[in-house]
Amino acid sequence: MPALTCFHCGEPVPGDPALFARVGALDHPVCCIGCRAAAEWIASLGLQDYYRLRDALPPRASAIGDYSAWDRAQLQRMYVHQRGDGDAEVCFLLEGLRCSACSWLIERAMSAMPGVRETGVSVPGKRVRIVWQPQRVSLSALLVAIAQLGYVPHPLDRQSLSDVIEHEQRAALKRLVVAGLGMMQAMMFAIVLYAGALEGIETSTRDFFRWIGLLVTIPVVFYSARPFFAGAWRELRGRRPGMDTPVAFAVALVFVASIVETLRGGAQVYFDSASMFVFLLLGGRYLEMRARHRATDVVDALARLQPAVAQRLGANGALESVGVHELQIGDCVVIGDGATVPADGELTSAQCRVDESLLSGESKALVRQRGEQLIAGSIVVDGPAQMRVMRVGADTTLSAIVRLVGRAQQQRPRWTRHGERAAAWFVSALLLATAATAGTWLVIDPSRAFAASLAVLVIACPCAFALAVPAALARSLTVLAQRGVLGLTPNAIEGLVRANYFVFDKTGTLSERSLELAATQPLAQTPAEVCLQIAISLEAGNTHPIANALRAAAEHSGTAPAQNVRSVDGGGIEGEIDGERYRLGRPAFALGFDAADSDSIVLANRGGALARFELRETLREDAATTIDELRDAGAGIEILSGDSPARVAAVAVRLGIERFEARVRPERKLARLAELRAGGATVAVIGDGVNDAPALAGADLAVAVGGGAELAKSSADIVLAGDRLGALLEARRVAVATVRIMRQNLVWSVVYNASSVPLAALGWIPPWLAVIGMSLSSLAVIVNSLRIRAVAAPRAAAQAPAAASKLAAVPA
Amino acid sequence: MNIIFVLIPLSLVLVALAVWAFFWSVNHSQFDDLDTPALMPLSDETSSGPADADSKSP
Repeated sequence: MPALTCFHCGEPVPGDPALFARVGALDHPVCCIGCRAAAEWIASLGLQDYYRLRDALPPRASAIGDYSAWDRAQLQRMYVHQRGDGDAEVCFLLEGLRCSACSWLIERAMSAMPGVRETGVSVPGKRVRIVWQPQRVSLSALLVAIAQLGYVPHPLDRQSLSDVIEHEQRAALKRLVVAGLGMMQAMMFAIVLYAGALEGIETSTRDFFRWIGLLVTIPVVFYSARPFFAGAWRELRGRRPGMDTPVAFAVALVFVASIVETLRGGAQVYFDSASMFVFLLLGGRYLEMRARHRATDVVDALARLQPAVAQRLGANGALESVGVHELQIGDCVVIGDGATVPADGELTSAQCRVDESLLSGESKALVRQRGEQLIAGSIVVDGPAQMRVMRVGADTTLSAIVRLVGRAQQQRPRWTRHGERAAAWFVSALLLATAATAGTWLVIDPSRAFAASLAVLVIACPCAFALAVPAALARSLTVLAQRGVLGLTPNAIEGLVRANYFVFDKTGTLSERSLELAATQPLAQTPAEVCLQIAISLEAGNTHPIANALRAAAEHSGTAPAQNVRSVDGGGIEGEIDGERYRLGRPAFALGFDAADSDSIVLANRGGALARFELRETLREDAATTIDELRDAGAGIEILSGDSPARVAAVAVRLGIERFEARVRPERKLARLAELRAGGATVAVIGDGVNDAPALAGADLAVAVGGGAELAKSSADIVLAGDRLGALLEARRVAVATVRIMRQNLVWSVVYNASSVPLAALGWIPPWLAVIGMSLSSLAVIVNSLRIRAVAAPRAAAQAPAAASKLAAVPA
Repeated sequence: MNIIFVLIPLSLVLVALAVWAFFWSVNHSQFDDLDTPALMPLSDETSSGPADADSKSP
């Protein structure tokens, strides 16, 4: 059924579209007031092209919050950087920033604001940096403008302004280009010298070209190669020679030797070799760095979870917005409808319902009575609630979870350490071989000692060896990113191949956060379809999961909304249709007495129950096929969820999963993972909640499904950004291909080194040939790595085109 | 052959200029986002809103 979708956010429009946004002289249906406001505001700025240019849908526009607290000087001190020229600078993390069109929209909208001087949007970093004149426009006005577009701005503290990653990336790019240009120049002049050596050349001309070669190599050695020297110095001081040591040695040796040769008019200079060497190594490192920077950091996630502003009840009974860091133990705060709890505390108002799903995985909102604990980071569903602050800052439960993540991350076995140990061994052997060559030749024929030992050092340089893994990794990360899978750590690929036990979280991973109607059971004479219509009428205008599930199940909608509708906290809804009173909700509420507690709701009138609606969680579209394929591959599958046993069991049965555990706390999850790993399994954890974060960090492979809490992503090895569980299978196939290619690369580089080093030691390979050999071997590694590409599974081949066309359809 | 003593230093000056220009553009965020600017020309042919004029001024 081609349901109407919202013009702004693309979500289905419930029932008959009652709301329209006027954009470009046409009325477009929208799903809610927030989306209408967003669409019309975008249009009023003349930016309706956004709807044509975007290739990912924005989040549903939510009600615009109160940002006035951001004008407080105390808060601004932490977040705003005052520039010397009177302008102020701030950096936001934007929730909902997805594609380039978003960044275009924000830049345009911001530059339409008076007093905004500069806007810089970084889509990969999900950040926007704004420079504005504080006397012309307030920070809260900027925040409101961004919120009106449908994004949720989270100001980041001042340190994030001096963006380390950006700096690192720029510096690396500059070094790479300088090395590249230097290499081209040095080679050009080297060709003259080689030709001269064959055809004859005047000594003065030869020396001129040598000096020019020296001149163009100086920036390469002293600027581009500086990281190698710094790294070698660090490695030597720590007595752990790594990759940087031989590189620095080779570069320094070649460069110094060439200067000596130039000064004394010797036989050969190697400026071209030196700069080519530096360029090729920097190229490999640049690719590797780009892949590494895709990772998001924990700071971002915390900014999102912990609200920066709280509503404090002053001594005189008035509300004031204050920064969370200003809160003291014993303060009274008011938490509005749908707001996040700013600190741990005790409920002082009568009753409220809180959503702790981010912290515990429990998908049902929990009822809290006066005097019970509220946890920072959870969301009050039916506010406002009043709370007395008990713990702030680092003492909160949320901070404890974050610390748990940190500890678990340290426990993770580090692949890198193995790599470093191998490299150290390799490098030590290489330096020994060079010394042995030099020593031997000094005894036999001192004039050839230098050329031979230089050739050994260059040809055996673990260049191909060093590139073998990163080149394949960088390529596979690119391929995966195109398929909506972000690999965040070097462990990702290795883990995908080795994982043989998959532990899934339930809510948000296997199931979506919405419900569907499983069955309608009429309890009286009224037919099921009529009961459903009555229920929909009662729920008209509501957008909570139950109402959505009922609407989605109806074949046609359009009944008039009920009159005198009254909703009762934690119970249900009551209203009149054609003079008849109906109640819809939990059995206890609808019938006045308690029935078996399940996910069903009951429709009743004065005469008793009319129908029972059985609701169940909507499974992810590809959950069943993914589980089946993993099972076929012989992997173990288990569900560990914080949710109630009944719901976990229901999902497990539907997917045919035999092992599951419900009401699992983070500590228990970690313990269970340790148990599984002790039993010899390589465990992959797939989850999305913050409660999963410790588990994710403690697993061999951590996979986060997109749309989940950012914290989980930051400790994950892999993020399935496309929101498709099936991407996990694709990623697995790419990983298998990657490991195969990586192995080929390693074998090739070892064979190359093993066969060329003896030849070089015997003095049969001149240094220039050594450099070419080294370059070709590196090139072979890179070209081989390019063979990694996405392969469709034999079994999922039928579904893959569908998924691809779905992806392709979005930009249009 | 003497012309080479002029041309080679000249080529080095040009390389130095190229490096300077590249550094300038890197420092001015020209390489930070390579995706968004590709969309800019698509929008200019139709939009004539007031945002246009404003966005060009720094």
